[in-house]
Amino acid sequence: MGKQATEMLKGTLEGIVLAILSSRPAYGYEITAWLRGQGFSDIAEGTIYALLVRVEQRGLVDVEKVPSEKGPPRKVYSLNTQGREYLEEFWRTWSFLAERLEQLREGGK
Amino acid sequence: MATGSNEPKNRYLRYLEVVTGSLEEKKRWWQYKARVKQLPENYRTAAEALERYLMHFGPADGAGAMAMYEDLADLLERSAADGTPIRDLFGDDPIEFVEAFMANYPLGQYRARERNRFTSAVARAAGDDTPPQDRTK
Repeated sequence: MGKQATEMLKGTLEGIVLAILSSRPAYGYEITAWLRGQGFSDIAEGTIYALLVRVEQRGLVDVEKVPSEKGPPRKVYSLNTQGREYLEEFWRTWSFLAERLEQLREGGK
Repeated sequence: MATGSNEPKNRYLRYLEVVTGSLEEKKRWWQYKARVKQLPENYRTAAEALERYLMHFGPADGAGAMAMYEDLADLLERSAADGTPIRDLFGDDPIEFVEAFMANYPLGQYRARERNRFTSAVARAAGDDTPPQDRTK
């Protein structure tokens, strides 16, 4: 993953993580693994954790502690109503941005 | 510090808190330290390095700071149990991780003061007559 892709990803990572959680609940490690599988290889697990702490503090996800065979319980995150609204807004912003950039590429019509 | 948190505090303890800060926070701090001590060596080394960084640039005390250290212990314990390699945990640029992590908690005193100072200076330079809102909270 190049430097440019990493930089561009930063601003959208929150939306990406919420989008992943909109299909099913997941814990931190699963989210990182999914992102790596999609080619976002540079993402640190700690960075995803920091993001999950943030969306939890902002009340966009619900957290359930599930006992684990080894180690402390896992925190399983799921998108709540407020999170879904926030995700819709993210997609609207994304569409706006993508549209404007496409116009720019086509020569600023 | 064997007092249960539900008992009313005696006068001596109340006095002590005024002098040395919240005992509840101290308890949480020592609990965090005990958790770090239990980590495998490489995670513990990373934890101590993180702690140093956070002490300098993050919130030094208060409930927000304690929540930060507890979240950090949660992450490290989970990663140690999963066997997540240190590099996968912190990435190629550990600063990026620690700054993203720290941003979730109250600003450190030093940063808060300088941000206020800078914001006010710009407001004066811009000739604003209304005082700028405090955005450091």
